[in-house]
Amino acid sequence: MRRARRFNINGILVNAAALVLVLSYALPYVYLLMTSIKPAADVQQIPPSFLPAVVSLENFREVLQSSALPKAFASSLAVAVLTTVLSLAVAVPAAYVATQYRRRITTLFLLFALVTRMVPSVSLGVPLFQLLKSLGLLDTIPGLVLAHTSAAVPLALLLMSAFFEGVPKELEEAARMDGCTRFQAFRKIILPVMIGGIAVTALFTFITSWNEFLYALLLTSEATKTAPIVIAEYNSVYGLAWGAMTAAAVLYSLPVIVVTLALQKQIVGGLTFGAVKG
Amino acid sequence: MSGEDRFVLCMLAPALAILGLLVAYPVGLLVFDSFFKVDTITPQIREWVGLKNYIDALTSKRVAESALRTIQYSVFALFFEFTFGFCAALLFSALPGRSRWHRTVFTLPLMVPPIVAGLLWRFLLVGNIGILNYGLVQLGIIRGPDAIAWLSDEDIVIYSVSFADIWLTTSFVALVSYAGLTNIPKDLLEAARIDGANAFKRFWHVTLPLMRPVIAVIVIVRAVDAAKTFDLIWIQTQGGPNHASEVFSMNIYQRMVRFGDLGEASASGTLFLIVMMLLAAAAYWKIWRPAHA
Repeated sequence: MRRARRFNINGILVNAAALVLVLSYALPYVYLLMTSIKPAADVQQIPPSFLPAVVSLENFREVLQSSALPKAFASSLAVAVLTTVLSLAVAVPAAYVATQYRRRITTLFLLFALVTRMVPSVSLGVPLFQLLKSLGLLDTIPGLVLAHTSAAVPLALLLMSAFFEGVPKELEEAARMDGCTRFQAFRKIILPVMIGGIAVTALFTFITSWNEFLYALLLTSEATKTAPIVIAEYNSVYGLAWGAMTAAAVLYSLPVIVVTLALQKQIVGGLTFGAVKG
Repeated sequence: MSGEDRFVLCMLAPALAILGLLVAYPVGLLVFDSFFKVDTITPQIREWVGLKNYIDALTSKRVAESALRTIQYSVFALFFEFTFGFCAALLFSALPGRSRWHRTVFTLPLMVPPIVAGLLWRFLLVGNIGILNYGLVQLGIIRGPDAIAWLSDEDIVIYSVSFADIWLTTSFVALVSYAGLTNIPKDLLEAARIDGANAFKRFWHVTLPLMRPVIAVIVIVRAVDAAKTFDLIWIQTQGGPNHASEVFSMNIYQRMVRFGDLGEASASGTLFLIVMMLLAAAAYWKIWRPAHA
């Protein structure tokens, strides 16, 4: 009886601590949301207040009426979608053979992908600048897609390899018995089974490109500026426009957060899929 | 070549081509350029200078200072990320029920773009309107809202800019640690308890050794990422005031873009690359596979 009671008090304490921790952790982002819906004049009031005295969509109206931000969102979206498609198209087949057909070249290949993750983007950005310049691709969507792909392919390879790890070799063998070629077995039998893992990898690849800043800063200027670059520029060009900046930051970050939270079950399911099947 | 080999090569070829064109070739170009005097403004000038770029980089005071700052930033950020994240994971695994809801909130910063995190923390810390200092005044920790100039005091700015990093990546540490903790067999901990080990001893002698590979992965991944940081600091201070928050990657960027000195930027970029590889390799051998060390 005493034991049960003690456990209970401990439980309450742990719960309370976890609650405080989680709430304080979310607080900064909530403050960003609160600031974005203040009237522009109230954003920089001294002393600052956490909650808005009046709710206003003035900041959102301002950033959406300027042409820069909507255009930047279009660029960001195009680059992220194309990067995702290109990265998955090359990484999914490679990860499949790297895990299911082990031999020296595939092991070396995965090691190379892992090492690539360690390359500082600034080190790669300097020569990529030259490469794209010589191809005439500076400040174009395809140019930035190529740069983002250099970072997205290793990530997609490592994630997809983890998912393919869990696929039994018998699956392909059975398909081959039924008269499929190796490629048909991959396309018709393996890929449909892997759809969850592919979706998770696509989401992570998309977010990597959507969030990327340094390559966009180095490799684009007026024509194809992405959203993070325009948001960073509220700094210098428009003075310190905190109201507009917070509204733009919310528009830029909230959709990804909402989609991720909405798909969280599938993401966790997808991530555990490999483990369970293994 | 057997049909199987041909299949493997066909499936591998596109990825090999992409990584060759977009990673291996640029890295080769980086190393090649590091031996030349190259100018982005007048690209016709291309003059072999041997190791001069390296000597210039290694003897430059500004480069050395930015390298030191990168270490200060990374160690500071990593220490707090790890401490907070690991404690959060221990707390979550100690929750009587499932900690699903807590972990969902904790996933949030993983999805926040670094640029937004940097912006947000700048807004929290900035002089006059930074709400953090007003909060500290309310709690009686500092005297007035201008007592600490987080982002404009040259002595502390390199630590202040890491708050955003800590906030952003504690969740990564927490979620990976949590996954590791749930994989520890319950009967091992139970056996230690029956043998009379108290909670601290169980943690020290059972949990921690079993978590070693997980901790190694976290430390390697986060140390490399922290050392590479650019965007988070750039959006908060652009390396200022007076270069006091200019880290190594930013130094390379500045020399490339502002001074157009491609050769020297390439030499620094090459050095950076080598150090990161060595760091990762050393960490891998020392921590991950202690039996081989």
